[in-house]
Amino acid sequence: MKMWKMSVLLTVASLFLVLSAAQAGKIDEIKARGTLIAGVKDSQPPFGYVDENSRQIVGFEPELCAALAAKLGVKLELKPITSSTRIPMLEQGAIDLIAGTLTHQIAREEKIDFSITYFPAAQKLLVKADSGITSVADLAGKKVGSAKGSTSEQNIKKAQPECTVVSFETYPEAFLAMKQGKVVAVTTDAPILLGIRNSDDNPADWVIAGEDIAAEPYGIGVPENDSKFRDFVNISLMEMWKSGEYQALYDKWFGEKTNFHIPLTWTMELWP
Amino acid sequence: MDTFMTWLSGLFSNWGIVWKNFDYLLVGAYPQGPLGGLAMSIVMAVIGIFGAFWIGLAVGLMRLSSRRWLAWPALVYIEIIRGTPLLMVIFWFYFFAPILLGHAVPETDSAIAAFIVFTSAYVAEIVRAGVLSLPKGQTEAARGSGLSHTQAMIYVILPQALRNMIPSFVNQFVSLTKDTSLAMIINVNELTLSARHIYTRTMKAPMEIFLTIALLYFVICWVLTAFSRKLERGMSRYQSRETL
Repeated sequence: MKMWKMSVLLTVASLFLVLSAAQAGKIDEIKARGTLIAGVKDSQPPFGYVDENSRQIVGFEPELCAALAAKLGVKLELKPITSSTRIPMLEQGAIDLIAGTLTHQIAREEKIDFSITYFPAAQKLLVKADSGITSVADLAGKKVGSAKGSTSEQNIKKAQPECTVVSFETYPEAFLAMKQGKVVAVTTDAPILLGIRNSDDNPADWVIAGEDIAAEPYGIGVPENDSKFRDFVNISLMEMWKSGEYQALYDKWFGEKTNFHIPLTWTMELWP
Repeated sequence: MDTFMTWLSGLFSNWGIVWKNFDYLLVGAYPQGPLGGLAMSIVMAVIGIFGAFWIGLAVGLMRLSSRRWLAWPALVYIEIIRGTPLLMVIFWFYFFAPILLGHAVPETDSAIAAFIVFTSAYVAEIVRAGVLSLPKGQTEAARGSGLSHTQAMIYVILPQALRNMIPSFVNQFVSLTKDTSLAMIINVNELTLSARHIYTRTMKAPMEIFLTIALLYFVICWVLTAFSRKLERGMSRYQSRETL
């Protein structure tokens, strides 16, 4: 019995040790390590995906992280995340930040902190061009595809309580399900839908439809209660906007020459 | 019939995509980047099998021991693991290990640890069944000829029992090899996740890609069973006459 009590005590003690170790600043930790470990999407063109030729993860968000790593003077390591694993991974310290189409949500503030918005998206529907679906109201009694653990999944249930939400691991999988008639619409943020539509063989078969279901401002997820690190991310983003580095990056992935053209019509929150 | 054939050939018309990305399916981003694809599946399976064999052997022998302080922990371990889905064990290791160890554990390592811990419990039961299946006379004769309990186990019982266990081992290891695909849930870039990377980028050819990886899994498992048949023949010389 004594052994048993001893082991419980040891476990509790080690938990406290872990908690106190987590208090050290993230910036110091990253500099000591010499690498910034960024969680990015690996199945979400053009935000983050595996390139065909280099076989590496590339995209808008990985390059945003590369800029942050350069500012810290450290190397960048990309870790793939999905919508359902990204927040636990940040909480447990497997990654230093999330740059993976993560919507800044008040409910998520309980567990992690967010940077300023670096990409303002809005949730829409992707449907077959001849489906006759033009708004969320048309989805009553129908099946809608989305991704597990995403805000889109929660929003569509609120916007149309009479539809059935079928959740997949990734949005491209939801799209494949729509192609096979398993769902009538895929719902998520418009830029992701546009990326999916334009990657298809016949983009004209699909349209992005409906009103804005919800605003989806993307922020970089950072560990809770580390204001120095969050300041660094915020100020770096603003510097990138002011220097034109952000716009150049945006143009590379969302400009007119790309498959994912979205005009740059907004301005980043810039503090004086 | 003709329309059916056209439909069928249209269904599988994207083999070019599989061919162009075949190296990614085999080795991932290696050597420019981390290992992935089939190579990663094999690495996880091989380390998993090796670890599970030795730990499972130890736990199985503990379970057989007449000393309670050895047998009971083994029993509790086996029963807990056998009553838990592998997917959950993988999640446990991935999300609990950092809390206990105080630092993040790479997802490949936690997946392999989960595979070893999970498969060991089954190997332990195979070991127990294998040892118990030998006629009692084997132990009695070994002890009677002056060997200690441990010596009897190592030189007489185990060589015979292990041979009997081979088919069950292979069964377990083949299923472990296939179960490595579950590691994709924590983003280990093994064969199944590599396949997803390709079809989420191209949005095409899901059937061709999945048919290809099914074939790759089959080849690996078939090689494993073929190897075990050879091993079984090689070890038959240890067989006692009584059980032949």
